[in-house]
Amino acid sequence: MSSAPTRDEFMTVAASREIHDGEVAFIGTGLPMVAGYLAKATHAPRVNLVFESGIIDPQPVDLATGVGDYRLLHGAAQVAGTWYALSLLQQGKVDIGFLGTAEIDAYGNLNSTAIGGYPKSKVRLPGSGGANDMASNAHRIVIICRHDRRRFVERLQYLTSPGFLDGPGARKAAGLAGGGPVRVITDRAILGFNPTTCRMRVEALYPGGSLEEVHASTGFELDVAECIEEAPVPTAEQLHLLRHVIDPTGIYIGKQANA
Amino acid sequence: MTLEEAVRGIPSGASFTAGGFAISHQPMAFTREIIRVGQRDLTLIGMAECWVAEWLTAVGALKRTYLSNFMLEGFGRCRRFSEAVESGTLEVEDHSHFGITARLVAGGLGLPFMPIRSMVGTDILNKSGFEPPGDKFHTMVSPFGGEPITLISALRPDFAILHVAKSDELGNVQTFGSAAIVAEQARAAKFVIVTAEEIVSTDEIRRRPESTMIPALMVHQVVHVPFGAHPTGVYGYYDHDAPHLAEYYEASRTAEGVRAYFRKYVDEAPDHATYLDRIGVSRLMQLRVDPALGYVRSGGRP
Repeated sequence: MSSAPTRDEFMTVAASREIHDGEVAFIGTGLPMVAGYLAKATHAPRVNLVFESGIIDPQPVDLATGVGDYRLLHGAAQVAGTWYALSLLQQGKVDIGFLGTAEIDAYGNLNSTAIGGYPKSKVRLPGSGGANDMASNAHRIVIICRHDRRRFVERLQYLTSPGFLDGPGARKAAGLAGGGPVRVITDRAILGFNPTTCRMRVEALYPGGSLEEVHASTGFELDVAECIEEAPVPTAEQLHLLRHVIDPTGIYIGKQANA
Repeated sequence: MTLEEAVRGIPSGASFTAGGFAISHQPMAFTREIIRVGQRDLTLIGMAECWVAEWLTAVGALKRTYLSNFMLEGFGRCRRFSEAVESGTLEVEDHSHFGITARLVAGGLGLPFMPIRSMVGTDILNKSGFEPPGDKFHTMVSPFGGEPITLISALRPDFAILHVAKSDELGNVQTFGSAAIVAEQARAAKFVIVTAEEIVSTDEIRRRPESTMIPALMVHQVVHVPFGAHPTGVYGYYDHDAPHLAEYYEASRTAEGVRAYFRKYVDEAPDHATYLDRIGVSRLMQLRVDPALGYVRSGGRP
């Protein structure tokens, strides 16, 4: 019989639930790619997955190592260019986008550029890529990352991708068209944003997780939703798809025991 | 036109943009030849040509880069690129993918700027790298509807270096799979150099004109360079060489490792043919893609 779901599997299932059938989802490498495939194989068969390398609605049979990988191109409905794919965001065609980050603040702003100064920095990170374009323009953004005090910070060292900037009304005033972040899925909790203050709040915990642990891993004051829910437990079908069909060799979904 | 002649046409101090996206379609034979010839103080206007950026930084050929993201997809950080930014020897000006492409598109359209909705409200615009902010962008209220809008200035690289599937002698280019922004790069650059897996007849191009991505009127030089993207891949021809990319990635942990890598694959392989000999026919044949899949089923990972 299958073993208990790992935290990565909980996170992937939580991410896949954010995708609704028939939507256009902008996807990057890693856990979001697996979540996108899982959504398409289960509750959202008509989702259009779009990738910044210009690939639209593929039907891959092998998991790609990145968005430039020809494994991702297999069965695609269109191979457009990067300019075209990203223009779908600006036009407002993209319902949901997934992002990772090195730093995140209470308003869901993200840093994937530099730690310790700019332009000369202590640690240079890869840079925005399509992340800022997604964060600026997608209707909804879901952030997926590890949860620790080094990442969840009071003040970003560089603001690469906009969340709610400095609070309510800031996105509109800046001229940002997209709706901003709706969910932050970490290995410790599922979080969202208070619609009035735009600040991050805890919304769900995994089995065995605690609010104290989440607070202790967060470098800013974290709100808590009125009703904390239990994160959805991956079903047998979802686990089968993740372990044997989508990521059988464990490229993105770690093989570790329940963390 | 030989590869060496084409590369020697690029002076030190020039700006350029290179084709490809991550493990795909990067002009690596051309890059190795730049390392042999030894140009310095180059400016790269880059979107996803991470391997070109990493290698030219590693040998000290790059002075500055307008970029959106350099990451060795499937492996990790561009270590030599990161180290050079951290030590201040490589100057950076950051963008989003759409932002850097918008600057090339504006250049290609003969316009001074492009209105854009990305990057606003963030440090990509609020913190400048080497470029004065007023040269990079302005914000204005749209005369049509009164909303705030950002204008990002045009960029025109001196050269575009593009590795493609097929070209005829004139430079009519047909290339397949995820082509990233090669068409936009070709339009923006003042001088376009194409290296091609195959040189085909113009009749073959004319049989499928809808497949032509770049017409000859945009292209200045064409060089026949089979396996010219190795160790990255070319869609329909060969997969990326994952073990070889991993060999560099491991070597890049130290400056000495990088020197040893380039000694083995560039200095001791004085031209592209010798390089291919060094990689070996059997290895190259193993990389040839399954036409039904578009890749090598057993490949892809180191």
